[in-house]
Amino acid sequence: MANTETVDLIHEKAALMRRHVIEMGFGAGGRGAHFGPALSSIEIVASLFFGIMTHDPENPTWANRDRFVQSKGHACLALYSALGEAGYITKEQMATFKGDGSFLAGHPTRNPQYGIEVTSGTLGNGFAVACGMAKAAKIKGEDHKVFCLVGDGECNEGIIWEAAMNAVKYELDNLIAVIDRNFVQLAGTTKDIMDVDVEALWRAAGWDVLVLEDGNDAASLLDALEGMKESNGGRPHVIIANTTKGKGISFMEGSLNWHARPMNEEQYEQAIADLENAKTT
Amino acid sequence: MNKAALDKLQDWSKAGHRNVQADTLVMLAADYPEVVALSADLTPTARLVEFKETYPDRFFDVGIAEQNLIDFSAGLALEGLRPFAVGLAAMVPMRPAEQMRAAVGYMKANVTVIGIEAGVRFGPLGNTHYAMDDIAVVRAIPNFTVIAPSDPLSTHKALYACIEHEGPVYMRLTGGPGYPVMYPEDFDYQIGKAIEYRSGNDVAFITSGSLLADAVRAADILESEGISTRVVDMHTVKPLDTEMLDMVFAENQLVVTAEEHSPFGGLGGAVAEYKAGFADAPRQVIASLGDKFQMLGDHKFLMKQNGLTAPDLAGLAKGNL
Repeated sequence: MANTETVDLIHEKAALMRRHVIEMGFGAGGRGAHFGPALSSIEIVASLFFGIMTHDPENPTWANRDRFVQSKGHACLALYSALGEAGYITKEQMATFKGDGSFLAGHPTRNPQYGIEVTSGTLGNGFAVACGMAKAAKIKGEDHKVFCLVGDGECNEGIIWEAAMNAVKYELDNLIAVIDRNFVQLAGTTKDIMDVDVEALWRAAGWDVLVLEDGNDAASLLDALEGMKESNGGRPHVIIANTTKGKGISFMEGSLNWHARPMNEEQYEQAIADLENAKTT
Repeated sequence: MNKAALDKLQDWSKAGHRNVQADTLVMLAADYPEVVALSADLTPTARLVEFKETYPDRFFDVGIAEQNLIDFSAGLALEGLRPFAVGLAAMVPMRPAEQMRAAVGYMKANVTVIGIEAGVRFGPLGNTHYAMDDIAVVRAIPNFTVIAPSDPLSTHKALYACIEHEGPVYMRLTGGPGYPVMYPEDFDYQIGKAIEYRSGNDVAFITSGSLLADAVRAADILESEGISTRVVDMHTVKPLDTEMLDMVFAENQLVVTAEEHSPFGGLGGAVAEYKAGFADAPRQVIASLGDKFQMLGDHKFLMKQNGLTAPDLAGLAKGNL
């Protein structure tokens, strides 16, 4: 069981990260941001960066660091907000999000010195690259883990399943994928777009599967991730974390309208009010 | 150049490029512990059985999954390994083009992608197995170097050059059984440095891949008729050796580029793009597979159909002088 202090820390970090998501996304003005898919995955990313992964922002390319690959690249604000809170990037750099000449694009671009391990944005590729990284760790005899955040809509991609089968073949038990199961993708609900039993597919591919009923709950995330990190059973691991798209912002939660769009002043005020209210309740 | 390679040279010439690349990968693996090889259910076709048996922990068959072949290789490369991913040229650059762009080109991953049986060498298997567009696909991806070696020795040396090269490489292989040895064993091969195989001031043949041998025979024909003919082995299609091209444009009356590829986006296109910056460069004729799907036929038949034999190339040059 995760200790209370760590759970509290993750929720504290998650609140700060949500604030960064809103500030960066609003700061992008008319260029907009993928708010919904970033907010659903905040507790997952916060649990990894501040509870589970062994890493050192002072030495970002340390060879035996745990790797984090954000395959659902459109949710980059979840990653950037974690990098900001962890100290990989500065607040000033965060403020450049999507700006001309910024290195913080609307999808992550590999930049190990700032903690961005892999370029992503064309869905499915980050996951398949993460599998190669996990295999490399085994070849080199390094004991670090590779964590990979995948979208549920992203599981529509064929490359996901090419790589999933391959990861089982090569017994990548140092690989832990987390599916941000928020039930909404770009053009509609996952039920409307491609209604499949995600859990059954991962089981059929041969993965060690765990379903979390509340993937926005730090305690259950920490327990699941810790258990998988310690497991060397020869199979790669996947957590299917049921989350809420747009989590934490009243008018975004579960909405089909907030996958990606610009935010106006009124919406920004409401979003900040929602985050402030959450602090006091 | 190692003795094992020299001992194999005649066998390589008889067997063709598949054996050259596969045997060389075994040699590379012995010399460089970071070398790994990958295939997508093509191990016997790509002659990689010996590699698999010699280095079972450094060989990966990802199944019939070309996209994953590339992404998995990229992940290995980002962690310091040197993957050589071997596939059919007809399948590999086109099917996983997006993976080659995002995971290899954009991240500058040290992956060498080898496309075997490029061009129309798969004859009777039909157009799905012809690679007429692979150079065009990869040339458009930033950071990629594109190499099309011309003979067994240059194929072997090019693979050794890849391991010292920083950045992604696509190596397109053509010459099949009867792959003539064009170079002496001590010749100098450098990525990006074209080789003036023969000097001459009237016509200049510029070739990529195994068409070098045909161009040399075409040059023999032209020389016998008093037409001075230069032959350039532009084994690196990207980046082009522009110093060599500057010399050709200054000294030759006619440029004939010859390649087993579409006229669009290959060597001919690359030379024409560079030549567009010159006010007084010579005319260029592009000998290629044309902008069409091919008739069914064996390799020799298809090369004749497309005017890519030595007499055809000589006739093309004469007709345009």
